[in-house]
Amino acid sequence: MAGSLEGDFESNSEVSDGRQTTRGDVMIRFDNVTKVYGNDTVALERVNLGIDSGEFVFLVGASGSGKSTIVRLILKEMEPSAGSIYVNGTRLSSVPRRRIPRLRRDIGCVFQDFKLLPNKTVAENVAYAMEVTGQKRRTIRTKVPQILDLVGLSGKMEKFPDMLSGGEQQRVSIARAFVSQPPILVADEPTGNLDPTTSVGIMQLLHRINRTGTTVLVATHDREMVDVMRKRVVALEEGRLVRDKVKGAYADEV
Amino acid sequence: MRFNLGFFLGEAVKNLRLNLLMSITAVTTTFICILVFGLGLLVSAHIQSIIGSVREDVSVEAFMPEASSQEVDSLASKVESWPEVASVTKVSEEQAFAEFKDKYEDQPDLYEDLDQGVFPASVQIQLTDPDNANDVAGRLKQEGFTERNLSYPQQTIDRLNSVTSYVSWGLYGATLLFLVASVLLISNAIRLSIFARRKEIEVMKLVGASDGFVRTPFVFEGLLQAFVGASLAAFAVIWINLLFVDWSHNALPYVPISSGAVNAFSTLILLIVVGVIIGVIGSFLSVTRFLKKI
Repeated sequence: MAGSLEGDFESNSEVSDGRQTTRGDVMIRFDNVTKVYGNDTVALERVNLGIDSGEFVFLVGASGSGKSTIVRLILKEMEPSAGSIYVNGTRLSSVPRRRIPRLRRDIGCVFQDFKLLPNKTVAENVAYAMEVTGQKRRTIRTKVPQILDLVGLSGKMEKFPDMLSGGEQQRVSIARAFVSQPPILVADEPTGNLDPTTSVGIMQLLHRINRTGTTVLVATHDREMVDVMRKRVVALEEGRLVRDKVKGAYADEV
Repeated sequence: MRFNLGFFLGEAVKNLRLNLLMSITAVTTTFICILVFGLGLLVSAHIQSIIGSVREDVSVEAFMPEASSQEVDSLASKVESWPEVASVTKVSEEQAFAEFKDKYEDQPDLYEDLDQGVFPASVQIQLTDPDNANDVAGRLKQEGFTERNLSYPQQTIDRLNSVTSYVSWGLYGATLLFLVASVLLISNAIRLSIFARRKEIEVMKLVGASDGFVRTPFVFEGLLQAFVGASLAAFAVIWINLLFVDWSHNALPYVPISSGAVNAFSTLILLIVVGVIIGVIGSFLSVTRFLKKI
């Protein structure tokens, strides 16, 4: 499985053509974003953040520092209280409710609790993300086994999620997030429920996806992982962006 | 995006299988609603048919004591030309006597001592519309008949008319209530099944499914559930109708209940169609309401 991912997906121009933005364009931008829950719980305070196309960024911070809030804002699960957010060149506040599904198809997402559909098999779970965009059945039938092979689950296509280990479920969810080759992949604590060894595998997978040109944003408090990967690290503390360092570690001196 | 019927139907069937208990709830609810609605239709159809046949029997009789057969003939032909009149039957003295004898065959002492002339000749007038009985009677009075020599059940007709309209309005009202109750019950049953799967719907939305894409399998599911429930109920209604008609012929021989009052095929289709429409509306409403919340 290792290494085959880039080759397979870069050669597959049918899907990636026109989708891939050139490296260097701003993929995600937060302009002075503030998010207040209720009346006085400040989750984010005047956050400015720019993530270029093709970057791999860690978003770190303790629980409650605002990592998940950033992820949810990118997915337009909610609106910021102030400031504006741009994703893939689109200003989110200008996206009407009915266009949200289309927006989300450009953002693959991976969650701590996997969020797989329990009534669908592994293959069906991955296929669903393609069915949603109305892709041809034939395309789905060829792409799903391919991507499951890439994440190392070709033998478990017909299994249901509850028959898999946590690491395997997370691989399914990554396969689902990536099968339509979105320009952005957002992961919220992808290794939060996994043991360290399994976590390394998941991170490698995300890294490999990043190398195909996909912008990857990983919110995590997995210190070891961040230190090993040596990627850009954006640190949050009580809703404020306190550090932004290329090739950083979890706890660099400021 | 192209509409993939096979996919949505497949999803719906799969969901039905996996959420068997919820499906049974929804099917049972539809079954009961359509059964009650169907029984209402049956009662209404039979009442209408009984009323119809009773009203059809209404005729005006003009008695002509000591009239010659020419006089009877001329009255009959005159009356026949009136627009309100459907048909005219002449009954001579002999016929009237014979009819009486027929009717009381087993009580010969009633007619043994009677003369033939006791029963007057008469003209029986069948009306095209029972509402015209008064007009026809009025015209006959102009021809010289008195109230005594005419038999037209004015009061029966008036009473029947008012009863008919009360019964009809009552049934329309009840039908409407049943339909509203059905939509509410079914949408509630489907809401339960959606609530049980809210996580699933949230995930679908996160993956980028549009509202329509999430909604369609649920609507198909509601359609299939309603179809099953309504079909069972429709066949039950037809079966109950057959039993009822059979039973009434033995138990209520004087009530003109006919199996022709209910057209089995169109009732079947009507009930199933109504059930399916209710199911579709119910599931559409409840998914839409849920989708608006997330």
